[in-house]
Formats: sequence, C-alpha cells, structure tokens
Amino acid sequence: MNAPLTLAHYMTLAGILFLIGIFGALTRRNISGILMSIELMFNAANINLAAFDRFLHPEGVTGQALALFVMTVAAAEIVVGLALLLAIYRGTDTVYAEDFNLLKG
Amino acid sequence: MIEHAYLIPLIPFAASLIMMFGAKEDPHSPAPWIGIGAMAICLGMSLSILNAVAGGTVPLPYEHNWQWFSFAASIGGKSFLYDMPIGVLIDGPAALTLVVVTLVSLMVQIYSIAYMHEDARYKRYFAFVSFFTASMLGLVVSSNILVGFMSWELMGLSSYLLIGFWFEKDGPTEAQKKAFMTTKLGDSGLYLALLFIFAKVGSFQITQIHQFINQGYMTTTVATVIAIGILFGAMGKSAQFPLFIWLPDAMEGPTPGSALIHAATMVAAGIFVVARLYFVFLAAPDAMLAAAWIGCITAFMAAAMALVSYDIKRVLAFSTVSQLGFMMCALGVGGYTAGLFHLTTHAFFKALLFLGAGSVIHSVHTNDMRLMGGLSKKMPVTFLTMGAAILAIAGIPFTSGYYSKDMILANIYHANQPIFWIMLGTALMTAFYMSRLFILTFWGDDRDHEKHHHAHESPFLMTGPLVLLAFLALVSGFMLDRKGLVYSLLAKPTITAPQAPAAAEAHPAEAKPAEAHPAEAKPAEHAAVAVPVEHAAPATEAPAEAHAAAASHEGGEAEHHEGHLPHWLHLALPFLVLGSIGLAFFLYKGPKYAVADGLKANLAPVFRLLDRRWFLDDAFDLLVVLCDKVAALAFWIDANVVDRVFVDGWGLLMRIVAEVSNLLDALFVDRTVDGFGGLSLDLGVGLRALVKDGQVQEYLMYAAIAFSLAATLILTR
Amino acid sequence: MNMLSLVTFAPLVGALIILCIPKEKVRAIQTVAFVFAGIALIASLAMLPGFSRGTHEMQFVERFSWIPSFGVQYYLGVDGLSYPLVLLTTFMCVIGLIGSLGIEHRVKEYFFWFLVLEVGMTGVFCALDLILFYVFWELTLVPMYFLIGVWGGPRKEFAAIKFFLYTLTGSVFMLLAILALYFASPAPHTFDMLELAKLTGGWDRHFQILVFLGLYFGMAIKIPAFPFHTWLPLAHVEAPTAISVILAAVLLKMGVYGLLRISYTLAPLGFQWFLPALIVIAVINIVYGALCAMAQTDMKKMVAYSSVNHMGYCLLGIAGMTTAGFTGAVFQMLTHGIITGALFLLVGVIYDRAHTRDVSAFGGLAVKLPVYAALMSLTCFASLGLPGLAGFIGEFLCFLGAFQTWKLAAAISVLGIIATAAFFLRMMQKVFLGKFNEKWADLPDMTARELISIAPLAVLTVLFGVYPKWPLDLMNKTIEHMLGK
Repeated sequence: MNAPLTLAHYMTLAGILFLIGIFGALTRRNISGILMSIELMFNAANINLAAFDRFLHPEGVTGQALALFVMTVAAAEIVVGLALLLAIYRGTDTVYAEDFNLLKG
Repeated sequence: MIEHAYLIPLIPFAASLIMMFGAKEDPHSPAPWIGIGAMAICLGMSLSILNAVAGGTVPLPYEHNWQWFSFAASIGGKSFLYDMPIGVLIDGPAALTLVVVTLVSLMVQIYSIAYMHEDARYKRYFAFVSFFTASMLGLVVSSNILVGFMSWELMGLSSYLLIGFWFEKDGPTEAQKKAFMTTKLGDSGLYLALLFIFAKVGSFQITQIHQFINQGYMTTTVATVIAIGILFGAMGKSAQFPLFIWLPDAMEGPTPGSALIHAATMVAAGIFVVARLYFVFLAAPDAMLAAAWIGCITAFMAAAMALVSYDIKRVLAFSTVSQLGFMMCALGVGGYTAGLFHLTTHAFFKALLFLGAGSVIHSVHTNDMRLMGGLSKKMPVTFLTMGAAILAIAGIPFTSGYYSKDMILANIYHANQPIFWIMLGTALMTAFYMSRLFILTFWGDDRDHEKHHHAHESPFLMTGPLVLLAFLALVSGFMLDRKGLVYSLLAKPTITAPQAPAAAEAHPAEAKPAEAHPAEAKPAEHAAVAVPVEHAAPATEAPAEAHAAAASHEGGEAEHHEGHLPHWLHLALPFLVLGSIGLAFFLYKGPKYAVADGLKANLAPVFRLLDRRWFLDDAFDLLVVLCDKVAALAFWIDANVVDRVFVDGWGLLMRIVAEVSNLLDALFVDRTVDGFGGLSLDLGVGLRALVKDGQVQEYLMYAAIAFSLAATLILTR
Repeated sequence: MNMLSLVTFAPLVGALIILCIPKEKVRAIQTVAFVFAGIALIASLAMLPGFSRGTHEMQFVERFSWIPSFGVQYYLGVDGLSYPLVLLTTFMCVIGLIGSLGIEHRVKEYFFWFLVLEVGMTGVFCALDLILFYVFWELTLVPMYFLIGVWGGPRKEFAAIKFFLYTLTGSVFMLLAILALYFASPAPHTFDMLELAKLTGGWDRHFQILVFLGLYFGMAIKIPAFPFHTWLPLAHVEAPTAISVILAAVLLKMGVYGLLRISYTLAPLGFQWFLPALIVIAVINIVYGALCAMAQTDMKKMVAYSSVNHMGYCLLGIAGMTTAGFTGAVFQMLTHGIITGALFLLVGVIYDRAHTRDVSAFGGLAVKLPVYAALMSLTCFASLGLPGLAGFIGEFLCFLGAFQTWKLAAAISVLGIIATAAFFLRMMQKVFLGKFNEKWADLPDMTARELISIAPLAVLTVLFGVYPKWPLDLMNKTIEHMLGK
C-alpha cells in the first residue's frame, strides 16, 4: 500500500462524495439535510480544484485559492439557505421538502 | 460751483432715499425737512450757477463726462467699444430751468408741510416729491440723451407714484395708470428716436449729436424722422394733442403734487427735451411745422375745454395744457427763446395757481367752483396772490406772462399767419377762463353758506410760498426781459449746415459715422473735439444763424429783430385781453350767473363736446378696449390654434406613426415573437406533464438527469 | 485646480450624498443641498478675479479624451458669453433652494433632482464638445420632468409629459444636426465646437441651412420661440415655485445660448439665411407674447407669457447681427433670469398665503403687505423696462442692435414694450391698489425666508440697472470677437 496517490484517487473520492451529495439532496426529506448534501457537493468540487491544481499546475496556488472562494460563497449560501429555512418554518411549521409544492402547475 | 452741478440731482435723490427708508412714518415726522433742506441747497447751487452763466464768467456750454459703462457697438460695419458717458451739460436754458425747478419744488415742499399734515403717508409723500424733482433735475443737467431718457422715464414713475398717492381710491389708481400709459406711448417715439440717433451718430452725447448735424452728415429725412420721434415723446410728457388726456386726470393726486407736475417737472420736461435737441428740429423743417401745428391745436382745444369746466383744478389743468401748446408752438415756429421764456414764467404762475387752488380746496373741501364764491373776504392772501397769477397768465402788461406770451405771439406772427390768429384767439380765451375761475371762486357773495362759513385762510407755511411765487409771477418777466437777458441766456442753438449737402445723401452710410466716431478714439478726445466745434461754429461761418449764436455771449438782440408784433397789434393786445376779462365779469359776476347758463342752454352741443373733452377720452377708452380684445384674441389663438397645431398636431403625427408601426409590428414582427413564445409554451406544457406534485426534489432530479445526460453527451463526443 | 469641473459636479456629489441620507432627516438633506450648491456658487465666483476681460479665448479650459474611438472629449471652458450664464445658474440655484425650503413632500427626492438639474444646466454652459453639450442638455430634462410631475400643481402630470416630450422632440433634431456636423468634419471626426467653427468656411450653404434648422428646432423649443412656446405657460403654471424660477431663469437661457454658441458659430450661412425669419419670430414673440400676457388673470401665467415676450427681446438682439444686439441679448438673459426669477418667487409668496393667483381676487394689498407690494412693484417695473433697473439696459441694447438692421421690426416691437407696461400696471392696480379686499385681512407680510430669497435679486436688479459695467465688461471682448470675423 505505498503506491503514491494519483489524480485518479482524488477524482474518485470527489466523485463518490458528489454522488452521496446528489443522493442526499434528492432523497432527504428534511430541508436542512438537503442543505448539508449540497455542502457535500461543494466539497467534492473543492477537492477536485485542489487536486487539479496540485497535479496539473504545481507551480501556483490558483486552485486552492479558488477553493477558498468556493468555501466562502458556500458559507454565504448556507446562511441564506438557513435563513430561508427558518422563515419557511415560521410560516408553515414544517421543514419537510415534500410539503412544498407551490410550484405545481 | 458749476463743476459740482452733478450734485444737483443727486442731493434730492439721496434725500428721497433717506426719507423713504430712513424715517419712520409719523404725521409729525421731521423727515420732510430733509427734503426741504436738500432742495434749498440745490436752489442755492442753481442760483449760483445761473449767476455765473448769466454773468458770462463760465464758458458755455459747460460739459463734463465720466465713463459709465461700455459695450461693443458697431455702426455701419465699423466695430468699436462704445464708452457710455454720464455727465453734466450746462448751458443757459439748463441753468435757468434748474433754478425754476428747484425753486418751485422748494415752494411746493414747504407748502406741503401744512397741506399734507394730516396724511397717513406723510414722509412717503415728501420722498416721492424729492424723487420726482431729482428725476427732472437729472434730465436737465445730463449731457447724454440716454441718461436724459432714463430720468425722463423715472419721472414717469414718480408721476405714477404721486398721482396714485391715495391709492385706496379708484380714481387715483385709474389716473396714475392712464398717466403712465399715455406718457409711455409717447416715450416709445422718443425711444425710437434714440435708437435712430445712435444708429446714425454712434453716440448719445448731446454735443456730439450737435456736431454731427453741424457737419451736415444727417440728411433731412433722417432728421425729420428723429425729430418726429422726439416730438412724440414730448407730446406725451408735455401733454400735447392727442396725448393730453392724462393731465386733467392727474389732479387726482395731492394738489401740491399737481403743482409740481404742472409747473416744474413732468410737463416742462417735454418742452425742455425739444429745446435741448433743438438742432435736430432745425435740420428738419417739416418736424418744426408739425410741432407748431400740434402746439396750436393743443392750445386751442385745451382752452376751449377750460371755458366750460366747473372743477377748479381741472380748469387749471386745461390751462396748463393750453400754455404748453403755446410753448410747443413757439418752438415749432423757431421761437426758441420765447418758448423757454414762457416755460419759466409759466412755471411760476402755474405753481402759484395750483398752490392757491390747493389753499382754497383745503379750506372749503370741494373742487366745484359753483359751491365757492365770495372767498376774497375769508382768504385775502390767497385771493391776492391768485389774482397776481391770473393777471400774469392772462397777459396783463408788465406781468411775467405778458412778456413771454407777447414774444411767442410775435414769433408766430412772423412765421405763420393762420396759426397766429388761432393763437391770438386762444390767448383771449385764456384771459377769459382764468378770470372766470377767479370770479367764481373769490368774487361776489357766497353761494354755499355751509362751505363759506367754514372757510378760513391757510397757515403761514402755505401762504408764504404763495406770496413769493406771486412776486415772481409779477416781476420775473420784467427781470428776465431787462437788458435782453433772456436772449443771451436762452440763445437759440444753431446748425452751421442746416441742409445736408446732396453729396452726403450719396455717401455710403459707413463713411459718416467712421469719421464722427473712429473705433479707436477715446471718449475724452471726443468731448474735447465736440465742445470747441460748437464754439467755433459762429466764428467760421457767417450766415444769419451764426450771428444769432454769437449773440449768446454778447447779449445781442438778434432774435429781437424778428420778434416784434406790428405796432398796432402790440398796442391793441392788452385791450383785447381786458375786453375778454370784462366779458367774464359780465357773464359770471352774479351769484346765479344766469347769462352764462342761458348761453349754455343755447349752445348745448358745443358744451357737451367740450364737457366730454372732445371725446378724446372716449376714443382712448375705445383703444384700450380694443387692445384688450386683441389680447384676448391673441390668447385664444395661442390656446386653440398654436397649441393645437404645434403641440397636439405634433402629438397626433406621432400617434399616427405609432399606429402604423404598431400595425407593422402586429403583422410581422410580433408573429415571429408569438411563434417563439408559442413554441416554448407548448414545450413547457409538455414537460410539465413529467412532474406530478411540484416537489423540489423532483425538479432537482430531472435537472440532475438532464445534466448528466448532457455531460455524457459532451464528454463522449 | 479644475474650477469648472468643481462648479459643474459639486452639486452631483451633493445629490449622491443626499441619496444616502435617510428621508426623515429633512434638515440634513437641506443642509447638504445648500452646502454643495453653495460650493458651486462660491467656486464660480472665485473664478471672477481670474477671469480675463481682455480676451475672447476660452478660459479655465479642461480637456480630456472621453470616448477616444468617436473623438468625444470631456472639454470644458468658459468665455464672456458663457461665464455670466454660469454665474447666473449657480446663483439662481441657491436662490431656488431657498425658495424650496417650503417643500414638505418627498424632500429627499426633490433636493436630489434639484441638484442633478443644476449639474445639467451648468454643464450646458461649460461644455465645448458637442456630445458633452448634448448629454448635459438632456440631463436637464429628466430632473425637470420629475420636479414638475411630482411636486407640481393640479395638472402636473400633463404639464410634465408635455414639457418632456416636446423638448425631447426638439433635442432629437438637434442630435441629428450634431451628427451631421461630426461627419462633415475631416477624417478623424470631431465634436469639438472650436475646431468645427474653424471649418465652417468649407461647408456648403445648403448643408449649413439644414444643420441650422436642425439645431434651431431644438433651441427654439427651449427658448421658447413662437410657435413652439405653448409648453411654457403650462409648465410654469404647474411647476412648484422654485422650479418655475429655475425654468425661467436658467433653462430658457440654454436655448438662446445654444443659438449664439452653436448655431451662429457652426452654421453661419444657415444663420444668415434664417435671419429674416428670425426677426419675424422675434417680433411675434415680443408683441404676441405681451398681448397673451395681457389676456391673463392668473398671475403666474401672466409672468410666464411675459417670459415669452422677454425672450423675444433676446431674439431681436440676436437677429440684429450687431455687437450691440448680441451684448443686449446676453445681458437680457442675465437680467431676465434675475427679474423673472424674482417675479415667480413673489407670485409664489402670495399663492402660498392666499392659494389663488387670480388678479381679480385681491385688491388694495399695498396697505396690508407694504414690503411685499414694494418688492413686487420694483420687480414689475424692472420687468417692464424702467430705466435705472436692470431690465432696461438689456432691452435697450437689444433694440439698439436690432434697429441698425431692422428698423421697421424694431419699431413694431416697441408696441410690445407698451403692452408689457400695460399688463404689469393693471396687475399692480388690481392686486395692490384700490379698495382693500377685507377677505385678506389677516394676510401676513413676507417672512424672513422669503425676504432672504428675494432681497439678493432685488439688490442685483437695482445694481445692474445703475451700474451695468461689471457684467458688460465680462462679455464685451467675446462678443466683439464673435462678430469681428
């Protein structure tokens, strides 16, 4: 087990994480769970960014920097999401996604 | 003293400002004494100037200019920076008029202290009077005709303020508006004359205009147009036919104010300006003739109106108009000296008459002479002083009016016979209606006992000025006539080139002003050039006019020779005057004046015509109504035609364009859009069938599937 | 220091600051507006000592490339023609602000738009690049639209939209003409007015006529010249007092200024071709404007029509094509701004108290409101051209200039002076003189704020009438040069 980690390893990890995220987002009933799943997908993307940077352009840190940006944006997004969730909860007394079908045509 | 002449208008102006803004309104306010003091100083200065001028100790004309402002001007293609001068120009007439104006104004103000003592706007009245006098003085001294015009207009403003002094009543407010508008109508002529003068001469300076005419640059046609314009202005201010309608109404103001307007300021201004710019008239014989006829018609019409009026102030107003007609006529026939002489003497006796009438009205509280009568016992001083004035205005020998009117008639006699006979008749009418006024007011027994009972002599502040003015009314003519003083003081100006040479007509317009006013020349040089030329004129040329001009310093008698009536007429005149006075006695002496009433009944249409003032007022009212109609029409056009065509019409055009483009849009452009819209709508409906209950996660799932499909497609290509 | 930019954009800074102030803080908003309009005024006055009266060249020039690909520049500068108008603008804006202190409704927006309007107006007089000029010209439209449309009288929406659309229509033609000039200039095309002016010699007469007409259409509506003047009475009547002041005092001047600065210098042949028509329009403006004013009973409408009449004097002076006439036109613009501004303020004063402007509703007010009556009379007399007050000099110079070229037209126009006197006197008689109308027994005289806004105008009215040397000296050289060619 001392073969070096290659880009493929990282990408596999990221892919698995992303799929878990997709799965969670599609199946969780609780909206906070959906939000967490979305975070997972973000992190999958971050891993990809860092990995590509490390393996393809080792001289710079652009990818890492981008990852940091993504984390910041994700934090902002989650704040907005949670705020919305709170507002929804206040208004409807529920946090389950299936209860929201206002978009139904 | 003459170098400080510029102070003469400024002192009363300052006094007026101090009284207006510095003093509190109070019936016992000492503020009027500021105005009186200022006027006394001015009188002193004017007397000293007159003394110097009459004594020949100062070279005439005295001119001094300051630069006021400058603007870029161009005459006939030549462009230059015109430095507008502001300054004083003193010659004989100006010096004499200064004395007259300041003296009358001083008398009026002293008189007003007593006359106005009950008024709520006491100090304001005195401020107005000082302002009025200051404007007149500004006109008299100014060396620049534009500044003169400005003073002229300010005088219009002051008359507006003074006539409408009791503005709570409707009469004065109508009268003040009428006065302002009528004189403004006349002013427009003067305004155009000024524009014309500048367009030709390139200067507003009186001496330069004179010089320009002297050098023969002004054609007769141009001079005539300018002179007519000036005359028009004078017709407004000096109440000549047909613009005299404002003057009889102007008595709505306080009576001493009327005295000021009628004697010293407003109406004198028109005559004075004509005299000041007399050289323009000399270059325009047609305008002279027009002035003579206008003066003649005015004198006659006004005298006729005075014959029938029972309002004491109105009779005096008509007599003023009539006397102004005499002056204008005199100027028109070339009697420059006579016209100005009469202006001077008239100022004294007319001021006296108005102040005397004021004294009467103050005492009996009515203007109607039919309610007076027999006041001689109650008001002896007023009676005697007014008597002196009546003698003077009627032309009884050795009073002031005798000298001046005699001179006018003599001038007219030699110039124009038809006018002479009309004017002679008018002079006799003057004697008649003035005696009538005197008899109705003072003579015989009282007609209204109530009013007569309350009548009393006025206080000393009112009678004092009356006495002084009566003295002047009696002797001023003699004083001025003595040793030909009037001829030297009021010497007729001359023009050395009365007719523009034919060559000047052909000259291109550009050449003339360029000479008179080279672009680079400095104003100081101009003044320096202008004055000597005027002096040099008599020396270099030797026509008859030059001789008359030379007389100005020698005290010669040039005008004297042409200025005598035939001997028989000269002797007969006093008797004719006495005859008409006698007629007045005969008609009006009793308490009932039945003879006069009988006459009135027989000549009813004539009386009506005169009572309605020749229907001139009605004509002007009609004009006003007409103007209003035109104004209403203009506004109707504005609201209904111009607005419709250019705004609504434009809007309509735009709307049509919009409709057309809308149609195109609907037919072609919109179809395409609709097509796209319909397509996407159909697609949406179709896709929506996939979704069952609008769950977020459902959408997310389809999105994920779609995304992975797309990704797969792209990546595997 | 870039003085002109400071003068032009100080109000913009103020406007942006006002946007950040909560709308309840009325006092703060007003203060900011005053401070920045004051900065503009002080800065424009500070240029006075440095402004050379002995040259016709542009002064205080600022020049940067703005849109290089189209040759558009940020190019500011003033000469004797525009500098007096810049002073007028900054001064009247401060006066207008004082007059606006009574605004209670939507204060923040009001002062914001007011300051933006000032930017546009000042910019028009400073700009030397046609596009920049056009931008500023249009910039005045929008604030004016809102200022009339929101804070106006009963028919404010209609008045605002009429004003906006009508003037915009004119501007479009102006833009076309500007573009024509642009493409007529040689290869790297330019919008530079001074450069373009040097090229006029090479342009065809027909081209110049077309360009002139396009420009004239835009200017004439602003001036407003007959027959494009009908928006003015409506806009004036409906606009709030201070906006009427600005409209009359500054906005109308933009048209005359444009005529002199752009039409005359950039299409001289077109200008000369148009002169006979211009003199007719001037006479119509004068006589017809005065007659229309005579038919009014609403004081504000009367003053509005008197503006039509007074702008006619400007046109008359311009049509004379003489230095005196041009001087008169510029001076008349200044004095009309001051006098008519004061008139609108004064009409506003009585309207605030009595809520009517009908002349026949009053009577004998001189007893009750002596200060007001005195100021109103002073202003009316100034407006009807009484010598010794500012109106006379400008009017007289206009006539003087026109008379040399058009004797008959000038003579007819004198009728306008008489009619002007007639309606002002009648208005004064009906409102102030005669029997006191007891209905107004408890009408208070002018307040300190009203006095402060009007007193400077009254002082200038007298000062310019008695001593017109200062403003005339500013403009003499420039005008001499304009006609010296």
